[in-house]
Amino acid sequence: MGFQTRAGGSALMAGSFRLDCAALSTREINQTLRQLLAEGVRDIVLTNPAGRHNLGVALRGEGRITLEGDAGYYAAAMLEGPSVRILGNCGWGTAENMMRGEVVVEGSAGNATGATIRGGTLVVKGHASSRTGISQKGGLILVGGNSGYMTGFMMQKGVMVICGDVGEALGDSMYEGTIYVGGRIAELGNDAVLRDLQESDLELLDAQLARYGIPGRFDWKKVVSGRRLWNFSKKEMGVWIHAL
Amino acid sequence: MDPRAVEDGHGQGVARRAVPRHSAIWSPEVIEDIQVKAELGHYRIRGFSTLRKRLPGFDDLTFIPSSLSRMPLEGYREKCVTETRLGTRFAKNPIVLSTPIAITGMSYGALSRNAKVALGTAATRLGISTTTGDGGMLPAEREASRQLVYQVLPSRYGFDPQHLRSANAVEICVGQGAKPGTGGVLLGEKVSAEIAAIRDLPPGVDQRSPVRHPDWIGPDDLIIKVEELREATDWQVPIYCKIGTTRVPYDVKLAAKAGVDVIVLDGMEAASGASPDILFDHTAIPLMAGLVEAVEALEDIGLLGEVQLIAAGGIRSGVDVAKALALGADACYIGTAALIALNCNKPLYLEDYHALGVEPGACQQCHTGRCPVGITTQDPELMQRLEVEAAAERVVNFVNAMTMELQIIARACGKADVHDLEPEDLRALTLEAALITGIPLAGTDFNLKQIFRGLARGDGR
Repeated sequence: MGFQTRAGGSALMAGSFRLDCAALSTREINQTLRQLLAEGVRDIVLTNPAGRHNLGVALRGEGRITLEGDAGYYAAAMLEGPSVRILGNCGWGTAENMMRGEVVVEGSAGNATGATIRGGTLVVKGHASSRTGISQKGGLILVGGNSGYMTGFMMQKGVMVICGDVGEALGDSMYEGTIYVGGRIAELGNDAVLRDLQESDLELLDAQLARYGIPGRFDWKKVVSGRRLWNFSKKEMGVWIHAL
Repeated sequence: MDPRAVEDGHGQGVARRAVPRHSAIWSPEVIEDIQVKAELGHYRIRGFSTLRKRLPGFDDLTFIPSSLSRMPLEGYREKCVTETRLGTRFAKNPIVLSTPIAITGMSYGALSRNAKVALGTAATRLGISTTTGDGGMLPAEREASRQLVYQVLPSRYGFDPQHLRSANAVEICVGQGAKPGTGGVLLGEKVSAEIAAIRDLPPGVDQRSPVRHPDWIGPDDLIIKVEELREATDWQVPIYCKIGTTRVPYDVKLAAKAGVDVIVLDGMEAASGASPDILFDHTAIPLMAGLVEAVEALEDIGLLGEVQLIAAGGIRSGVDVAKALALGADACYIGTAALIALNCNKPLYLEDYHALGVEPGACQQCHTGRCPVGITTQDPELMQRLEVEAAAERVVNFVNAMTMELQIIARACGKADVHDLEPEDLRALTLEAALITGIPLAGTDFNLKQIFRGLARGDGR
């Protein structure tokens, strides 16, 4: 296994494979990735991804996939199990709706990073843009740098950690979930409130930062839902008037 | 009746009316509406569809079947094909419907489990498709439905790539006719522990769905999103895009350009399980008008026939389907009609209608979760009132009746395939329908729409 020759690819050693994206269509790349994972290849390296969209969409099973370069929209979207490492930057919707697995972006990522993820871990070592973790439904999103406006918009569940600064409307209209911010918060969103950190929060943060090798000391803030938008109430019109 | 002079307390004669005269501006409905909102402190929410008294629509069209100048088909012996294939543009496995009718998207959450399973069971027996909704794919619905269309909505509640792969088609929901440009609503009464778990929400919240997709915004993004969904489903199944009939010419062209197989047009007659009241009556355009615009838009870019159209919103009978097909639709969705076949608004359990302050026939209480007939509820006791097998059979009967009505019209017009119905088979009964559709007004032989377009262009063509 792992030694078979394929268009655009070459075996490195048993259980590993190197795939050159340059000569292949997105269809061919994704089909090959699925076949390799199904065949039990555990290490796959994609070379020349060249910022292409939809690389590694809806992959299942076990294995480590490394993209040697930048990815476009929806890199490793809907992931169910594998571990994906992107050595460059990413476009919009990185790892959107991930169920299980791990995605690590060494560079920065675009809008809607980790949108609607339901599980797994997404790490962006650089910065993320606006709407990081929009409608997040589970899992962990960890951003080493800054994140833009409306980060955590309508968050439902899960944990988000932004080590740097965040833009306006942080956690706007969030239902549940927890957002930790190490830098400055430009503005809390509608019904997002600050809570004191507990020892368990700090333990979680220390463990995740150590695991992904993110250095630095941070002045952590913890943001959760104020729950005033959970039910329609005319008494809360001040909140609702902005939410409608 | 003549007004009668009545003495008032000051001894002066004043005119009083035996029959009350209502103001058209401050009608009893308007007065009630203001007084309710003065208590409520926010907009009103309800279920069902527009309550407008009259809209330009399919009732303004009539068929002109064959006689001397055309030959009709015999009802008993001559075939009239109804089979409909959707998604022939790019998908390896198109949806194949036995008749150009399918069940529209309605969420598990808005509808009860029994209602979803009954619709799936009926669709399977009929050889048609049914559709999930803004609450993910219910396993029992998947099991009951041979052809299931999986909606991709802005909320992505319960969105699961396994469900996506198991779907027979994917429908990217951009908007709906009942409330275009706004997200869904599910009031706390219906957010049961199970519904909350599926949607990753706290139980009992008044849930508002987002309206914009989280990970794409404009039509350029949609091109990439469509490719993503094709990749995730291995290019096997059709991809639909559902839009409300609002900015139809632009939206249809952009959706076609984005690479979808099928466009679902949801007219302003469409219903919702819960929506701000004002949206039903004051947003979107009638389905007939939207459909005509969609057909023209696809013609404009040379994709009519390649990109297919499903007409949805207020489809009530086989005649409505026949008219939609004649105007250029490939198939129709039914939603409310299917629910009514299930038992919606049926005069059973009258005390429960009365407890809601309504009568069967004008219920509109889907949003409360107290559906007297067990369709739009999550209450286990109410839900039991909808017996799945019998309910499914009623939908089967109803859709079969619709298909026969459609065939009657098609045969009468001399068509051996219902998809051969064409605008030429129709006449308009109102000036506005003639102007909207370009179909000649009954008793005339000219296209008013073309004439007015020429006038607008100033070239008289």
